[in-house]
Amino acid sequence: MRSHLLLLVAILSVALSIGGASLPEQTVWSGLIIATNSPPTEPTPAEITQIEGTLRKLFGYSQFQLIGEARKTLKTGQEDWLAASKYFSLHVDSRGEKADAYVLNLKLFQEQKLLLETKARLSKASPLVIRGPQVGDGQLVIVLVVQ
Amino acid sequence: MFMKTFEEKWTAWIDDQLTGRELEKFLASLPDRTAAEAEKQNAKQVGSLLREQAMALSNADFFSHQLRGRLDRENAPIRSEPDAIRTGWWTIRRLLWGGITSLAVFAICTVLVFREGTPPSQSQYLTQILGAQVDPTVSPNATITMFQKKDDHVTVLWVDGLQSLPPEYAAK
Repeated sequence: MRSHLLLLVAILSVALSIGGASLPEQTVWSGLIIATNSPPTEPTPAEITQIEGTLRKLFGYSQFQLIGEARKTLKTGQEDWLAASKYFSLHVDSRGEKADAYVLNLKLFQEQKLLLETKARLSKASPLVIRGPQVGDGQLVIVLVVQ
Repeated sequence: MFMKTFEEKWTAWIDDQLTGRELEKFLASLPDRTAAEAEKQNAKQVGSLLREQAMALSNADFFSHQLRGRLDRENAPIRSEPDAIRTGWWTIRRLLWGGITSLAVFAICTVLVFREGTPPSQSQYLTQILGAQVDPTVSPNATITMFQKKDDHVTVLWVDGLQSLPPEYAAK
């Protein structure tokens, strides 16, 4: 009887743990990209390859250089992290998950200066692209993707 | 005085009513005496059985009651008192286990239904921008546009008018 009870408790625990984890752990990739038309100096990062065509159509640039990135695995959906380059940083504050999307507060800094503040519901099947300031003959582009 | 037929003599012989010379003459007339004796014994047994049944049927209710009681006693399983108690406890335990198992199955089904209801990672919803702002003192000419490229499943926050920066800001 005791073994039966233990077995039942084990089955319930497994079932509830599977159910409780209805939102599996997912990783959000955040990248700071400089889009240019200059000759390529290094291969396009794999994270950008998926939306490279879209970025080309949107901005009219052919090359995309990654200057800063962060990859955060969300366990509770309440994490925050920073993707930074030498002069730019993107602070991401995840405020939970709603309707299969993460609610994120984003702040783009140029050194200590806050350039942009936005709140987005980042869907798992839809990247977010932000057009930042002009940098030299290129453009700062911020991309967030749920992987 | 009239002559008795063979059947009458046979019946009288079965009932041991024939005596004396009449008995001798009848026995002598039998073609197979051994078979006749055997038949007489059978007839006597049948007669006694019928008499017993007749007695019993005269008390039909009592007989039926007795018979039923005996059948009940004979058919009832032999069970000791502790066994009976244990059987009752087993029934309660089975009910308990049935209840727990049903709850477990219900919980598992509920979990599975909720999991089914939650769409997988390939959501059809596009990313939404809930709000955006720039610091007007830092970027007084900045404008913000939001749009979705549904073909590419991409949401774009297009900021114009931010201060342009020199190429060294492209450093890693």
